[in-house]
Amino acid sequence: MSHSSIEIARPALLRRTMTLNGIGVLLALIVVMALLPFVASPYVLLLMLPFVGYGIALLGFNLLFGTTGLLSFGHALFLGVGAYTAAVFTSKLSILSFEVILVASALLSGLIALLIGTLCVRYTKIFFGMLTLAFGMLFHSFLYKFYAVTGGDQGMRVLRPLLLGMEWRGGKTAFLTGPFYYYTLVLFAGLGLAMWRITQSPFGLHLRAIRENAGKAAYVGVEIFRMRLSAFVISAIYGGIGGVILAVTTGLADPELAYWTHSGNLVFMAVLGGTGTFAGPAIGALVFVVLQDFVMAITQYWRFVMGGILVLLVVFMPRGLAGTVEMLLSRRGREA
Amino acid sequence: MQPQPVAANVPLFETINVSRAFGDFRALSDISFSVHAGEFVSIVGPNGAGKTTLVNVVTGLLRPTSGEVRFLGRDISGIGPVELARLGMSRAFQLVNIFPALTVRETLAVAIASRLRRASNPFRSLKRDGVLQADAERVADVLGLRPKLDKIASRLSQGEKKLLDIASAFALNPAVILLDEPTSGVSTADKHAIMEVLVEAARSAGIRAIVQVEHDMDLVERYSHRIVALQGGSLLADMAPRAFFADPAMIAAVVGTRVRL
Amino acid sequence: MAELLDVILGGTFHAAVLFLVAAGLQLVFGVQKIVNLACGSFYALGAYFGITAVGAAIKLGMPPALFLPILVVAGLLVGLVGLPIERVLRTVYRRDESYQLLITFGFLLMFQDTFRYFWGATPRTMDNVYLAYGTAHFLGIRVPTYNLLVIAASLAIAAILGLFLERTRTGRIVRATAENRDMAEGLGVNASRVFALVFTVGCMLGTVGGALVVPSSAASLDMAVDLVVESFAVVVIGGLGSMRGALVGALIVGMMRASAISLMPEMEMLSVYLVVVAVLILRPAGLFGKAAV
Repeated sequence: MSHSSIEIARPALLRRTMTLNGIGVLLALIVVMALLPFVASPYVLLLMLPFVGYGIALLGFNLLFGTTGLLSFGHALFLGVGAYTAAVFTSKLSILSFEVILVASALLSGLIALLIGTLCVRYTKIFFGMLTLAFGMLFHSFLYKFYAVTGGDQGMRVLRPLLLGMEWRGGKTAFLTGPFYYYTLVLFAGLGLAMWRITQSPFGLHLRAIRENAGKAAYVGVEIFRMRLSAFVISAIYGGIGGVILAVTTGLADPELAYWTHSGNLVFMAVLGGTGTFAGPAIGALVFVVLQDFVMAITQYWRFVMGGILVLLVVFMPRGLAGTVEMLLSRRGREA
Repeated sequence: MQPQPVAANVPLFETINVSRAFGDFRALSDISFSVHAGEFVSIVGPNGAGKTTLVNVVTGLLRPTSGEVRFLGRDISGIGPVELARLGMSRAFQLVNIFPALTVRETLAVAIASRLRRASNPFRSLKRDGVLQADAERVADVLGLRPKLDKIASRLSQGEKKLLDIASAFALNPAVILLDEPTSGVSTADKHAIMEVLVEAARSAGIRAIVQVEHDMDLVERYSHRIVALQGGSLLADMAPRAFFADPAMIAAVVGTRVRL
Repeated sequence: MAELLDVILGGTFHAAVLFLVAAGLQLVFGVQKIVNLACGSFYALGAYFGITAVGAAIKLGMPPALFLPILVVAGLLVGLVGLPIERVLRTVYRRDESYQLLITFGFLLMFQDTFRYFWGATPRTMDNVYLAYGTAHFLGIRVPTYNLLVIAASLAIAAILGLFLERTRTGRIVRATAENRDMAEGLGVNASRVFALVFTVGCMLGTVGGALVVPSSAASLDMAVDLVVESFAVVVIGGLGSMRGALVGALIVGMMRASAISLMPEMEMLSVYLVVVAVLILRPAGLFGKAAV
């Protein structure tokens, strides 16, 4: 009798661990972040803000790569769009409402994605990667060269926005590590939930079918072009929002945001965390932000280190951190 | 989509003088045949006779160089796989064609979600869609895949993968299903079993006609209502099995003569 | 008129160099089905190394006439870097293409900082070499002799490559392995060695190209990525997998850049990116290639 109760207990435990995947892990991570201000210094908190921005952008990136199988080397384009939208709205148009800025950059990113996606998603793999790389660099070129409009390599200032219509009259650090920190965490959680719903929907299933076998997917009625384009647009919206957060954190919209190495960072973060899992890319973003801070303190040649780690990851741990953990857990579960 | 009621004399689909050339090479010459409700039609012929080309033309993948293909009276030349599925014709492939990382349940859900137009709202829940899940289980049942519903497709046996491919074609609730060598790669002992399952499944799923490309003449003889034989891109015969197998010239053209050693 | 000829010759010069790189890409893709995102890095490597080599030659007091051969040799030498890189790439040959893109992207990042470490972040130039060869009269205008020599060298290399693939035994083995790796292995071909050879030759074509171009332009950190997009443009226009396409594509892109430089210099790279987009809209399969995937 006791023997069978152990057997019953084990699968139940595993079932609980299993449901902690995906959105559970992400929300748990966000909860940890929310508790951080009680134990961590402002420096650490300031480091976490880019993590939130990247985390949101990566939710979008992974919809495109992990779920649909399209590897974009130009995702940073949308970070740039978001950042410059924030800059234009705050410093040129004097519109300081954060909510308005978010909506505007989401719309603009989506629109741009609709335009370039119509061309890009007709192609897959190499061509898609190259096209997105080219568009990213096109945007960077534009930001850099038309300095009358964009401020060129100096960038454009991003002024402190109003959160929910309220103005913060204190210092910059207090703002960023206080209300802004919590606001963005809530945003992250909300956007995470939305993305989870998306991946768990028939729409998400169709995207996965396209990734697995596009030819067959067409034969069972999946509208490949439309699905891919939709995924591209959604990923762009998330990218734009992430860009806004990055820009408000640094106070600057910089053309380097759209440079190819920045897109590369996004790819790196996703692969590091594990593109086969929901929360993996966000975990990758966290590790990257911390790792980069650490490596940059030691050497200015952090790109070399990152590139090397990427190569090692692809060769030895292609599932990334979260993916490998998930695999090990499920293997133990099966042996149970 | 529910198969619409159709009078028995209107063909479900037909080809009218279809020819297809690739440059100088005439793959199909003037093929006309039709398929009616309730029929099981086998397309036979030696390799290179044009069977695959014919299937590709009939399923809207290739445009005929001349002639028409009609489905329920509607011209379907070159419409493409997605439109085809919507109209009510689905196809299963000769080489195993699966979604490796998806489970059986998910594979079927892909087809059902297309059919029910569930994919346009990204926020619907897949797991809680009772209709969709019930349908997936029904199709799995009909083809004997119920116990494997939550198994990942790449881990199925070869025969099961084949069944899954066919099942996903079934899941579209087609009026006509086109099977490309459904028993190829299956051991002889299992071939009959699979055919029985297929015919019974089609009947209970409301599929109105089956068209298959098949090499195994025993199966063809046993299950078909009609045999469409191709040779060198031309239509050699379009007749009932009894008439076909009674004619040694026919058999010789398609299969070759039996050699007694 | 003279201006037009200037542009044409400038464009041909650039095309000659681009062709080498694109040929390397096509070779590697044709045989190994790999797209090397780091191909631009090899180009940049050749450029930087070329500068160092010529700098050393000048210090050793070598005659300027030797500079061109020195650049070629420098390019060939540094192309050997392809060997260890190919060994790493070997681990993902049989895996999904995304892995190849990721790995070569990792190399791209690593190269970027390698350049920064050895040669610094500011662009490096090498004017004296250019002047050392003087100018020639060609079709009524004055052309830098160097450009003509490079065009000639590029054509020679293309011819040698073509002969190698068509006429020699090793070339035939390479082509067989490209057609069907498993069958070639079944016939006793050491596919790994073929791949190593092909990849290294592909890299060398890139490094030599970079070395040859550096006297006329600068070696910079941006070079690597600019070139990836440019060679991608060449491949898109000419068609993936076609040598003839690489030649035609290179000419077209070379001309485009030369025209942009003379008409509106800020549009230089922008024009290339736009050409890529335009070609993909108008003629996705390229002029000579199979359909784009």
